Amino acid sequence: MSPLFCAACSTLFAPPEDADPFALLGLEPAIAVDAGALRKELLRLQRAMHPDFFAGAADETRALAERNTAELNAAYEVLEDEVRRADWLVKRQGGPDENEERQMPQAFLMEVMEWNETLEEARGSEPSSSAREAALELGRELDTERESLVRSVAELLDPLPNTGSDVLVEARRRLNAVRYVDRALRQIEEIRLECRSSSSTS
Amino acid sequence: MAYSDKVLDHYNKPRNVGSLDKAKSTVGTGVVGAPECGDVMKLQIEIEGDRIVDAKFKTFGCGSAIASSSLATEWVKGKTLDEALEIRNTQIVQELSLPPVKIHCSVLAEDAIKAAIADVKTKRESDLKKESA
Repeated sequence: MSPLFCAACSTLFAPPEDADPFALLGLEPAIAVDAGALRKELLRLQRAMHPDFFAGAADETRALAERNTAELNAAYEVLEDEVRRADWLVKRQGGPDENEERQMPQAFLMEVMEWNETLEEARGSEPSSSAREAALELGRELDTERESLVRSVAELLDPLPNTGSDVLVEARRRLNAVRYVDRALRQIEEIRLECRSSSSTS
Repeated sequence: MAYSDKVLDHYNKPRNVGSLDKAKSTVGTGVVGAPECGDVMKLQIEIEGDRIVDAKFKTFGCGSAIASSSLATEWVKGKTLDEALEIRNTQIVQELSLPPVKIHCSVLAEDAIKAAIADVKTKRESDLKKESA
């Protein structure tokens, strides 16, 4: 049950300090989430706490309805995204954040350099040139790599490791790897859009 | 966000962009990254005896990351390995007037210098072992 709202008496409650996104949506912290049930619970709570519903209430209550709705939406954004969910859980269990655990294997970083070199060549080159094709192919490879990284993080966090466990450090390293992959994927998307706009104008 | 003139100068005219032969025993390579933003930086040094005679870099990242690594290659050239190890990210921040949100770029450059030095030292030690064996 969400601590933001009592359905029985239609009363709003101020969000607890250090609001836990799982608790706000009435869930126990866990990496596995039933997306359909989560969405349903979001909609139910959004309706119940909707500021319009409290339009005639005291200023204080209306402000609380707005604040709770914002908190609820922010919590949902963390929970619906498997990477953000994992990131939050690693921190919750006392694991390192991306500033505390930044070391990546040299081999991986060399690989990131190579991705960037591929993208550098592709940028500004002709559509359907081999440089472009190489970038798009890299995009497909990175999509697969991202999937397997995210899956492996989910496996590491199920069941939730204890506070201080080395598993949390390993999970953080893999989440860092996802960040490098995402940066490359964003750039590949830009190249793809560049291709599309230049082919439509020609 | 506005970049300082010095950052823009390094960004528009980066010094020492390129690569050295990674396989050479006198070349040290350091590759470092910033997980927050996904930037990567490769910094290489070439030594003669104890002195750094050449340095090259390649950075994929924001203007501040490029400027920090460009400046780092300028600073390490001509220094001994021990002197280069003295370079602190705070000096880079000061020289380039980096804002707080870009301090991690200077940290990256300091880490890259250290990684390149560590690499060339490791190579030298393994060479010494081979010679004495």
